[in-house]
Amino acid sequence: MEHTSALETWLRRVALTLVVVFFMFPIFWIFLMSFQTNETILSIPPSIAFEPTISNYQALITGRLDTQAGTLEIDFLNNLWNSVILSSLSVALALVLGVPAAYAFARHKFRGSEDIAFTLLSFRFAPPLLVLLPLTLYFQDIGLADTYFGLIWVYQLICLPLILWIVRGYFEDVPVDIEHAYRIAGHSWWSTFRKIALPLAAPGIAAAGLLAFIFAWNNFIFALVLASADKQPVTVGALAFVTASGIQYGQVAAAIILSIAPTLALALYAQRYLVEGLSLGAVKG
Amino acid sequence: MAALTLNNITKRFKSETVLDGVSLEVGEGETLVLFGPSGAGKTVLLRLIAGVIDPEEGEILIHGRDVGDVAPEQRGVGMAFQNFALFPHMSALQNIASPLAAKKASESAIGEAVTKIARLLKIEHVLDHAPRALSNGQKQRTALARALVGSPSILLLDDPLRNVDAKLRYEMRLELPRLLAAQQASVIYVTQDYKEAMALGDRIAVMAGGEFRQIGPPEAIYLSPMSIEIARLFGDPTINLLEVTPEADSQGAFARLSGSRVPLESGLAPAVGRDCVLGVRPESLGFVDGASEGAVPVVIEAETPLNEKIVTLALTKAGREILMSRPAGTQGPSEGEAFIAADKAEILLFDRESGLRIEAAAANVGVTA
Amino acid sequence: MTAPVLSLNAVDKTFGSGAKAVHAVRALDMEVEPGEIVALLGSSGCGKTSTLRMIAGFEEVTAGSVKIAGREVNQLAPAKRNVAMAFEGYSLYPPLTVAQNIGFALKSQRLARAEIDRRVAEIAELLEIESILGRYPSSISGGQQQRASLGRALIRDAALHLLDEPMGQLEPQLRTLLRGRIKHFLKERGFTAILVTHDQTEANALADRIAVMEEGVLQQFAPPAVLKERPANLFTGTFIGEPPMNVFPIKVGTEGEAIVLSLSDDVTFRYPQESFAAPVCASLTSERAFVLGVRPQAVKRGSEGAPGRVAANQWLGDQTHIVTDFAGGTLISVEHDRAALTKGEEIRVTFEAQDLHFFDAGDGSAVSHGGEPA
Repeated sequence: MEHTSALETWLRRVALTLVVVFFMFPIFWIFLMSFQTNETILSIPPSIAFEPTISNYQALITGRLDTQAGTLEIDFLNNLWNSVILSSLSVALALVLGVPAAYAFARHKFRGSEDIAFTLLSFRFAPPLLVLLPLTLYFQDIGLADTYFGLIWVYQLICLPLILWIVRGYFEDVPVDIEHAYRIAGHSWWSTFRKIALPLAAPGIAAAGLLAFIFAWNNFIFALVLASADKQPVTVGALAFVTASGIQYGQVAAAIILSIAPTLALALYAQRYLVEGLSLGAVKG
Repeated sequence: MAALTLNNITKRFKSETVLDGVSLEVGEGETLVLFGPSGAGKTVLLRLIAGVIDPEEGEILIHGRDVGDVAPEQRGVGMAFQNFALFPHMSALQNIASPLAAKKASESAIGEAVTKIARLLKIEHVLDHAPRALSNGQKQRTALARALVGSPSILLLDDPLRNVDAKLRYEMRLELPRLLAAQQASVIYVTQDYKEAMALGDRIAVMAGGEFRQIGPPEAIYLSPMSIEIARLFGDPTINLLEVTPEADSQGAFARLSGSRVPLESGLAPAVGRDCVLGVRPESLGFVDGASEGAVPVVIEAETPLNEKIVTLALTKAGREILMSRPAGTQGPSEGEAFIAADKAEILLFDRESGLRIEAAAANVGVTA
Repeated sequence: MTAPVLSLNAVDKTFGSGAKAVHAVRALDMEVEPGEIVALLGSSGCGKTSTLRMIAGFEEVTAGSVKIAGREVNQLAPAKRNVAMAFEGYSLYPPLTVAQNIGFALKSQRLARAEIDRRVAEIAELLEIESILGRYPSSISGGQQQRASLGRALIRDAALHLLDEPMGQLEPQLRTLLRGRIKHFLKERGFTAILVTHDQTEANALADRIAVMEEGVLQQFAPPAVLKERPANLFTGTFIGEPPMNVFPIKVGTEGEAIVLSLSDDVTFRYPQESFAAPVCASLTSERAFVLGVRPQAVKRGSEGAPGRVAANQWLGDQTHIVTDFAGGTLISVEHDRAALTKGEEIRVTFEAQDLHFFDAGDGSAVSHGGEPA
């Protein structure tokens, strides 16, 4: 029960506002910047009263960047497309491999199963640079460098452990009695997996997929080293805005807005499922 | 041929032995109740029979066939779980239909069978509800319907009434025998409630520490428990247990309680001089005249009604607590001093060290059976 | 007369709002006198726990007022209401031993160390937890935790003791023993207590008065014997009593000086009109539809009477429950001795006029108990 005085309520609101401002302000500021020219951005003091322009977005979409030093060709839309391809295919592969594995780790405790699961997780701990150098050499030898396939393979280092560990937790939360009940009712283990385990863990799988997608999307170092200009995602592509004549803040901001838009939309859309997933926890009746 | 035979089943989880070489036969159409405190191994035993876990040793035969290598879905058993284990993403109807759907029964046959069982269990009106929209009682009936609908020859019921309200539990306890009789299945029923065990079981298998401690019909277990441990598990209020050392005089064997001479069955004479525990059920005790044989003086401490009974907490002179019960509506003192006694045929003696009941010698077999 | 320790006045509780609002408690009026033990009894979701939590102050009152010792406490924090509560779940402070948990409230009252120890020991003996006083909550069983939680509430001298399903986790053996002891303890100290339970055995054993709740509405608030003998409506009638009351829809007719109750085509009972008080006769013959209720303990088996067929004969050691197919329904009867009846056997039963309960078939309200108007 809330036994709060007016002062308490007020203080609570102030604190909440501070938190919201702290987290939302950068996004808000970037959003404003994306509609300004470099001159207004760099003016001192900064002002939120400015003439909005969509030139930054135009430049990104047409791929032509006019600077004082001349015209620069930037294939931003191609980068965006690369990001989409790399992230979604990586997540798809990681789901295909990771979900059954997560189920196995959740339901079948065999000798060493914990160790194997932990080893997979530990891939997340290692600094990417540790594996990058040898990986680059191997990839060049076997022709996987600068291919989507090679990148997606390497992205499994990001996606697979994440999906494995999150989904495993969800599978463990499905009461084993429910699966037993379905089997005793006369169904094979395979149909139990498809009809019971998968649907009940679906919110968890969605959450894990979403997280993996965001991590893959935000990855920088693998793509920087292993991909050339035509395969690189937005994170690497943004480097092009650092030009000889200065940093194109306006375009950077527009690029950031465009690149966070898909993940943000996805997160907002999936939020519903995540909440549903939590309320499904009342399985035990 | 027995419907179900367990031979020397042993089950271990890591180093812990949960079932220690248990053997059992359940006849066709028999209802066997597995009764015991939590952790006795009852649920594990059900799961072994269902085939969702495997024993380390021993064999399980269903209608004479060894099912060691038979998958759960092919054993032809039905099971209802304590926590219902309904499929949360399916309607009550789909839940109940799942055993029939697995057999690829036709849509119309499924509909017919589900409606029939749902009517029997009075849940027709909630068939299209999701489990989370059902009350606990409806969940429990849905789970039961799902176990029954495929007419399995072996029915495993894992404490199906535990998670429902007291009133519903009562109703189901009275309704279940009829339901089970109509199924003609062999039933293995797990419970922690002794009344459920006595009401539903043709035989009761009392389990503790991964073993069967006594298997027999309800009357044998209630009236002739093999040990103190078993005697304490049955009866509400629990049996009174008093430490005594029986003596003997010219009139036969007796136990001394608060200075009174409480006569014992002559068949219990071998117990004289041994350290014993005297057991007497609260309903066997009655208020008597101070002068009558075996009357023990007590002080009445409190009186509480219990299930149409009146339970009296009395203290002996030595301060030992004794519980007595009598039907509600009957008269008896509710405070002050009084004398109590029990029919000697209803007094049990247990060996204090082993806890085992001392059986009356052959001459008196009639009274203890 | 002293003021009631607790008075609830038109208390309402609604969870959520709009279409999803759940009306948990409706217009609840209730007064608890000093030294009384009251049980809130009902099935899950009946509003009993919400009521207790509103009294304790964990739940805000949507409308109405809660007064403890004459003072309105609606806006008062739980700690300031002078109530002690034992929780159903495990609510012990994990870093403290059982003894420290039980003595916690006394310590904050700055009682002398020796006095705290003495009272903790006393409570521990009462609840049979002396042997675990030095242990930590994580290392004891659910039943032991529950007793420790109960001890923590009982040790306090609060205006009101609130016990939420205090014995649900205990073994049956211990439960019976502790019921007697706790009742003795509460009465000896003159404590006022409110107990929430779904188990009528517990309510009957402990409470002076029982408040039967269903769907947020108080159905009846009366001593156990009254609930049993004069239930206010069909709900209370069938809720109270183990096994539940037998009920049959009936048609009432007259044959000369006799009142005829037809339960079905083949089951009718005749009673002389003088078995019922005049107003009861008048309402019974008033063309309304009625439901007849008979307690299982009141069913008389004999050579005369209406026929029934035995469906189950359950002997429970100290009593026998007989289930009979009767008048197109089921009749449950209780006998104190073993009954030598087998399944399928025909028996004949009679009900005495003084054991009959009549309810209005429409709204379920009681019309008559034992021939007297309700």
